[in-house]
Amino acid sequence: MKVIACYNIKGGVGKTASAVNLSYMSAREGNSTLVWDLDPQGASSFYFRIKPKVKGGAQGLLRRKRVLDDVIKATDYDRLDLIPADFSYRNMDLTLEQFRKSSTRLRRLIEPVEDDYDYLFLDCPPSISLVSENVFQAADVVLVPTIPTTLSVRTLYQLLRFCDKKKYKHLDILPFFSMVDRRKILHRGMVEDPPRTRSGFLASDIPYASEVEQMGVKRAPLPTYAHSSRIADAYRSLWQELKTRMNALPA
Amino acid sequence: MKKPIHYPLANKDSLPHWREQLLQHLPIESAPAETCRVHYYDSFDWRLFQANKVLVWQQRNDDAQLYLQARRNGSARIAIDLEQEPPRFANELPPGQLRQELDGLLDLRAFLPVATIETRSLPFQWIDKEGKTRLRLYLEQHRLVEPGGRRSLLCKRIRVAPLQGYAKTEKRVINVLEKEFGLSPQDDDLLDLALAGMHKVPGVYSSKLNIPLEPELRADEAMRRILLTLLDAMEVNEAGTIANLDTEFLHDFRVAVRRTRSAQGQMKTVFPPATLARFREKFAWLGSITSQTRDLDVYLLKFENYQKQLPESLRADLEPLRTFLKRHHQQEQASLSKQLQTAAYRQLKNQWRRYLNSPLPQRPAADDACKPIGEVAPRRTWRMYKRVLREGQAITPESPAEELHELRKSCKKLRYLMEFFQHLYPTKKIRALIKELKGLQENLGDFQDLEVQIHSLQHYSEQMEQEGDMTPRTELAMDILLKGLETRMQEVRDVFASRFEQFSSQSNKNRFRQLFNPSQVLKKTP
Repeated sequence: MKVIACYNIKGGVGKTASAVNLSYMSAREGNSTLVWDLDPQGASSFYFRIKPKVKGGAQGLLRRKRVLDDVIKATDYDRLDLIPADFSYRNMDLTLEQFRKSSTRLRRLIEPVEDDYDYLFLDCPPSISLVSENVFQAADVVLVPTIPTTLSVRTLYQLLRFCDKKKYKHLDILPFFSMVDRRKILHRGMVEDPPRTRSGFLASDIPYASEVEQMGVKRAPLPTYAHSSRIADAYRSLWQELKTRMNALPA
Repeated sequence: MKKPIHYPLANKDSLPHWREQLLQHLPIESAPAETCRVHYYDSFDWRLFQANKVLVWQQRNDDAQLYLQARRNGSARIAIDLEQEPPRFANELPPGQLRQELDGLLDLRAFLPVATIETRSLPFQWIDKEGKTRLRLYLEQHRLVEPGGRRSLLCKRIRVAPLQGYAKTEKRVINVLEKEFGLSPQDDDLLDLALAGMHKVPGVYSSKLNIPLEPELRADEAMRRILLTLLDAMEVNEAGTIANLDTEFLHDFRVAVRRTRSAQGQMKTVFPPATLARFREKFAWLGSITSQTRDLDVYLLKFENYQKQLPESLRADLEPLRTFLKRHHQQEQASLSKQLQTAAYRQLKNQWRRYLNSPLPQRPAADDACKPIGEVAPRRTWRMYKRVLREGQAITPESPAEELHELRKSCKKLRYLMEFFQHLYPTKKIRALIKELKGLQENLGDFQDLEVQIHSLQHYSEQMEQEGDMTPRTELAMDILLKGLETRMQEVRDVFASRFEQFSSQSNKNRFRQLFNPSQVLKKTP
């Protein structure tokens, strides 16, 4: 199982849209795919029309009073399952702190489902915290949707510095441009000459599109209602590129 | 994914009636009916079945998918979108995981249609107030589509597809189906039903010989049993050879012919000489009409390997050879197909079968006909083994290639004798000796292959010149190829001595003696 974290310190950059659409494409291709909605706001649970409620809450899960299998819900799409969000996730930091080896708790939690899924997508809450550290320990790849603006890029550097300091050797941090508006000079300039990072920006970027906002109305992954749109194509090429990058990683 | 649960319905049940019943008893919504066609594929020798997999091309209203998955439980599924009918070979699929997996499983074999099922289904969904589906249920009618297009009812059933995380809903539906409607679940696999409906038994083909024989059986009866099996093998591969579905049909067809000829020659003391002579001549003809096509098959299969032996800049220049080979292959294949549909071939088969099925003679003219096979077979095998040793020992580094070819032929005859009669010997021992022989055969086979290839390529090169296919660069490419093959041939030749030494080691000699000439062993032990 490959673990892909959709993460950014900033909010509203397209993390949930990426997690939902990429996981849908993965499942459509035949991969057993799981999404974990770690964000207490529960946006991906909402998109999949699944109640943002986990029996026993974050406590029950992290204390292993419940096995992961018990809280997994099938979505309306074949081979695509979800662990819903729960409002108690807002205190996940505090819950995690109670444990020894608190930063690898999440990783150990997902071990039992390792053979059941080909891909696990973690839809992460914004901010940088003990939850994020857990995510970095568990993930193979951190996918960072980045709006081509100064502030957004600044948070990307924050993230990179943080990971450098923590010396995550296993982790591949892959930023890509999200919500790109080609009419804006700043966006255009930054996409054409992306800031330098160690693994570089992915070549696929996701344009700003109203179809993405429609996800909230349709409550469904984008390709189900806008299959042949430009934006669906953009997600498809992002998924292909991501897979190629992951295949290059050591198993 | 949770496993679906199937509830069989009676064939006479009306689906509209069931639809009403379900809607009355469960808070579910119905969706428009769907029709879908599912085509199952496997290789002629059931490789996917053996690997416990199924390859399916599913056509629905607006999409079509080709997928490979585990049989029955449906896990480990790899799928691609595929609008048109799948190609015949894995390597013609778009690159990716599916192609890689199938290539590994099927190698040279084509995938052939096994069964087609047409399904009409009425879908139902249990939807909660968020608009989320909690369970799916289908009223299904499956029909088998026979090759002529005729459809016959396979089964009617209710399929419940529960979703992970919605156990309460599942329980409630099961309760209604089982308690209120009195249905009981049954795990029928559609492909199994379809195969049974067509009287197809999966997994029955293998080109390996394993013929049950009792040592006290009359030798002529034993030989007839073996030869009938070989005739069946020929006939089984005949249609695929004529249609050229893949190269392995002709290959297996030829192996059956070669084994037949070898049995006729090696066990000639068992058959009436005049009858045997007549058939031997006809089978020789059968061998000869199939050889050209097979040779060209082999070169086409080796082609990419040939290209890899060239420097990259010259690889494309070898293409004219491929064009040439393909053109000639087409001609040879057409003439072979024609020959296999002639009266002469049909008569040969019929007469041979009639002879093999005719009553055993009371007082046969052939010396060994009435002797027990348990005595004749080891004697003949021992004789051939001694010949192999004699011929092998006479070979020196200076011996001409022909001597190696003679030895190769003797080894093949020995191998066939050992395989025909393997049932007479302890399985472990005979298998171990066959393996020893194989090691020697591989070396001799490689040598012969290389020599024939060199000879043929030289011949093709002249022919290409005449047919106007040759360019200077192609000629250069072929020259380099030939040089490479010659070097390889020398290497193979150099290995021969050590391979033969191993085969003819004292311990192997003892093992051969023990199986095929027990009298000598007995004589030596006091």
